Amino acid sequence: MSVKAFELVPAVERDLLMGDKARINVECIECCGKHLYIGTNDCFIHHFLLEEVPSQKGRIKYSAQKLQQKYLGLKKPVTELRAASALERLIVLCDGVLFLVDMATLETVPSATGSGGAKIKGVTSFCMNGNPVNTDPFCVEIAVISSRRRTVQVYTVFEDRVQLVKEVTTAEQPSVVSLDGYFLCLALSSQYMILNYTTGASQDLFPYNSEERRPIVKRIGREEFLLAAPGGLGMFANAEGVSQRAPVNWSESVIGAAVCFPYVVALDQDFISIHSMLDQQLKQSLAFRDGHILQDFEGKVVLASTKAVYVLVPLPLEQQIQDLLSGDRVEEALVLTEGAQLNIPRDRFQILHRRILQQAGFIQFGQLQFQEAQEYFRKGELDARELISLYPLLLPPTSSFTRCHPPLHPFADLNHLAQGDLEKVLRCKRFLISYLGSVRGTEASRAAREEVDTALLKLYAEQDHESLLDLLASDNTCLLADSAPWLEKHSKYFALGLLYRCNGHDSAALQLWIRVVDGELQDSTRPDLYEYIVDFLTFCPNLDLVWRYSDWALKRDPKVGVQIFTKRSSGKDQSGQPKLDDVITYLEKHSHARLLYLEHLVLERHIKKEKFHSLLAVLYLEQVLFLLESSPPPAPDQLSHARDKLQALLRESNLYRVQLLLGKIEGCDQLLLERATLHGKLEDHGKALDILVHQLHDYSSAEAYCLWASSSQGPACRQQLLHLLLDLYLGGGAGEKRGDLEMAAVDLLNRHGEQFDAVRVLSVLPEGWSLQLLKPFLGRAVRTSVHASRTSRLALGLSRAENLQLLHDRLKERRKPILVSEKRGCHLCHNTFSCPDVVCLPGAIPVHTHCIAHRLSDSAPNTHADSTPSKHTDSTPNKHSTQNSNHT
Amino acid sequence: MKKPDVKVVILGDMNVGKTSLLHRYTERKFRDTVSTVGGAFYLKQWGPYNISIWDTAGREQFHGLGSMYCRGAAAVILTYDVTNWQSLAELEERFLSLTDTANHDCIYAIVGNKADLSDPRAQLPVAPDDQGEEPRTEPQVPSACPTPPASPVSPVSPGSLPKQVGRDEAAALYARVLRYKGLDEKSSLPADRMCFETSARTGYNVDALFETLFDLVLPSILRKRNENQRSPTVDLEDYREPTGKRRGCC
Ligand SMILES: Nc1nc2c(ncn2[C@@H]2O[C@H](COP(=O)(O)OP(=O)(O)OP(=O)(O)O)[C@@H](O)[C@H]2O)c(=O)[nH]1
Ligand SMILES: [Mg+2]
Repeated sequence: MSVKAFELVPAVERDLLMGDKARINVECIECCGKHLYIGTNDCFIHHFLLEEVPSQKGRIKYSAQKLQQKYLGLKKPVTELRAASALERLIVLCDGVLFLVDMATLETVPSATGSGGAKIKGVTSFCMNGNPVNTDPFCVEIAVISSRRRTVQVYTVFEDRVQLVKEVTTAEQPSVVSLDGYFLCLALSSQYMILNYTTGASQDLFPYNSEERRPIVKRIGREEFLLAAPGGLGMFANAEGVSQRAPVNWSESVIGAAVCFPYVVALDQDFISIHSMLDQQLKQSLAFRDGHILQDFEGKVVLASTKAVYVLVPLPLEQQIQDLLSGDRVEEALVLTEGAQLNIPRDRFQILHRRILQQAGFIQFGQLQFQEAQEYFRKGELDARELISLYPLLLPPTSSFTRCHPPLHPFADLNHLAQGDLEKVLRCKRFLISYLGSVRGTEASRAAREEVDTALLKLYAEQDHESLLDLLASDNTCLLADSAPWLEKHSKYFALGLLYRCNGHDSAALQLWIRVVDGELQDSTRPDLYEYIVDFLTFCPNLDLVWRYSDWALKRDPKVGVQIFTKRSSGKDQSGQPKLDDVITYLEKHSHARLLYLEHLVLERHIKKEKFHSLLAVLYLEQVLFLLESSPPPAPDQLSHARDKLQALLRESNLYRVQLLLGKIEGCDQLLLERATLHGKLEDHGKALDILVHQLHDYSSAEAYCLWASSSQGPACRQQLLHLLLDLYLGGGAGEKRGDLEMAAVDLLNRHGEQFDAVRVLSVLPEGWSLQLLKPFLGRAVRTSVHASRTSRLALGLSRAENLQLLHDRLKERRKPILVSEKRGCHLCHNTFSCPDVVCLPGAIPVHTHCIAHRLSDSAPNTHADSTPSKHTDSTPNKHSTQNSNHT
Repeated sequence: MKKPDVKVVILGDMNVGKTSLLHRYTERKFRDTVSTVGGAFYLKQWGPYNISIWDTAGREQFHGLGSMYCRGAAAVILTYDVTNWQSLAELEERFLSLTDTANHDCIYAIVGNKADLSDPRAQLPVAPDDQGEEPRTEPQVPSACPTPPASPVSPVSPGSLPKQVGRDEAAALYARVLRYKGLDEKSSLPADRMCFETSARTGYNVDALFETLFDLVLPSILRKRNENQRSPTVDLEDYREPTGKRRGCC
């Protein structure tokens, strides 16, 4: 309860109305603009001018000035008064007679001559139509309860006459009536009902004992009525007889009621009770002695006791809402605000609604009800800076933001709110993080983008929040000048570097990170920061930076550092990429990196450039030579590894300068294998094999050499090299070596038997060798030879077949199809053909199969077998084609 | 104010738990209630539709308002208390006639509330948000079963009260409701679909009740929408041309 929605302001006080005449009572009132009319029990109408006078604190007071009073001359109380301002008439009910008086002079209006007059007799009660059906502005419609039994009449009232429109009878005696359009809402003795006076259609509403309790029928809007219901309820009902709002709970003795949106005001003997129509709750209750009349006139609620008149002045909506909010009654304030939507201009409502939502949000926020707060902030489209500004130091000093005035909340800042409770501060900060995260990037926070991002960054840094890096890695508008010191304070150097990058200061970022890697600054965000920098340089399009900072990276770890160059895009578009030569020059100081880089170029990217191949070969060679000369000698596998690489390059690359390497290798007896390879490259196979066989005695290498050197040349070359090797084995050497060489020769022959020219081999082999020794070789040689002969025969056969096929095709092309039909005769018997099986004689002459068989067996029985195939070769295709043509 | 598309009305004797049911459904809680005065309503957003649910007062005093609440209703929930046989009888004696004003195609549900008092199954909380939400008051002893005077404050333990109304009795009432409405039992919704036993206290079957009804009244919403769309005038404030204008003088 206890919203202050209304204030009771005296309008006409007792003294002014009746002085000291104690017996005089107010009977009815009417208020029209500034004019207040009061009917009394002594048959007077008093006319006052009622003016609002503002007093202090925006309150309203009324000053009443008595204009005149008029005795109606009937000695009876004035029962009812209604103004028809367009006609300048008051409709007066006094002593059961309804008549008109002039609003200004209060003179009774005489009846126009010849018409029905301006009087209605026998009236107990009447009402005006709040929703007139007549479009003429110079008349009003009224409904009248007649003193005749069970009769209600509808009249049109003109300036000087009244005209009966309709009379309806009701099932029971009506006591109160209200009229909206064609709908009469009536209180009968035992129930309420709606009656359409033109169609006669009626709708029972609900039972009510009008004899027991005073009924109330109050039109509150278009086709909607407020009715007193059993149990002291105020029920709503529309013209269809449907209740669209929940009832309000009055006392049992309500005298009058009115709606002043969003409130229902009701009067009983001692109180004015004010319920909200939005939630049906009692909101305010004002003591009011001797309550007698409660009526609303164009939105103004006027009350009267028997002796004085008051106005119930609604407090401004905004003030009511603020009152609710200051009592932390958020829901009610919002209900009230939203309920007023239809009564306030749209744009003003939106501003108000947003503000109330924001205030509601701050109230919830103050109570650490963050979920609710966030929802209100979101709906109220809060400027995020309002919230940020609560947190000390989060708003950049450069921000032009000032808090909204009047303030949305009573808090100076977070410390004020939390009263030193650190746990609370922390929860508030976490909330801000989630809130800012949710508004970030929305349209509503556009104007505050920089502040939002900067505040988020600061919070993330302070709270060690993982999203710090995400924020900086995405598009953001963090202010560098304000954020940098903050990040430094929290040792977020990696993040600071990212921030520099966002602001285009890549070099500053790199310098900072390098200091972290070098241990000058402490920030453990990324243990792999060095690799990160290398990566960064790898993909950095700014070559200046690359040249500037790669030195540092290469020094720290050439193997990783060289990735700056090896992992750079090797795609088509090499603009913006460093020149390979420049890199090689740059790497001169970093020999290991240079080697890796060359390997990358030559072995991985297969760049065909003599310079790189030669340089790489020389570097490999130098490495090997260095290892050979170093003392103490290196681990054997280190050397062999280095040699393997050298040999592989020498063997596989055709681009390096052989002479240059030969020159470097000449004096070194340990690198005979390499030398042989180099000679091989020069196609000096004799020398190469000589080295392998006679100096190195490495027969398997010699054999491998033959295969390698001829691998790209074909079998003839291979045969030649193998023979060369065989000759070397058989021809040279004395003493112990001789036996070895012979064994090598035998192995060679046996292993590669099929590659040799067997005849030539046999001619050079020493006489004394046993057949057994050479059995594998001979076997292979014979098999090869047989295989070759068979292969060629097969090839011959296939060629023949192909030839024949071609011949056949040619014939087919040359010959027309042979037509056989039932109308054509056989050349031998001259009978017609009856089936498609025919034999064709040379010259495309079809004959019966049996005819030719007969002829052949007759003429040459001996040559039969021979001649048939030749005929068949000719006739088969033809027979085929006849069949085809027969089908068409 | 949002205009409801369809109306659902809860009827039943006082104290059977109408308010508690609605409260359980809308706020997902069970809490103290006071006997309803007059009536109250709640607007439920159901997909794109607004459904108004009217909670009526069971007290005799407000009985006369019932027909008005039921006017134009698309569904009526007739509520009784499973531990109180009289509350079922009242439905037929007092409340059924109130539904005369409801829509012709109105659907009826018979709901036996307070099932937790007699049926152990209904004591299980159904929704996760029920956890830790203990009823603040002990369930009241229905008036039909007076508390033994020796122990006036002894709490009634759940499940200890005798069930006075069985499902078959509810189904029989449903059949009589259909007959009263002049509806054919075969072409109407079957009793086993339209008779519920619920507990507002534990939440048992409450969502099922309301959601079943909403799904069933949807066609009625759609038809109403269509009717409104067919009229070419924009219906701003529920204002209809007074019918008499066109009818002329007679
Ligand atoms: N054990 C139990 N008690 C219930 C249940 N539902 C309601 N009650 C209790 O029954 C009493 C009446 O509940 P209400 O919801 O106020 O009953 P109502 O039908 O709205 O009554 P009126 O408004 O007077 O018509 C209250 O004390 C509730 O706590 C239920 O499911 N189980
Ligand atoms: Mg209730």
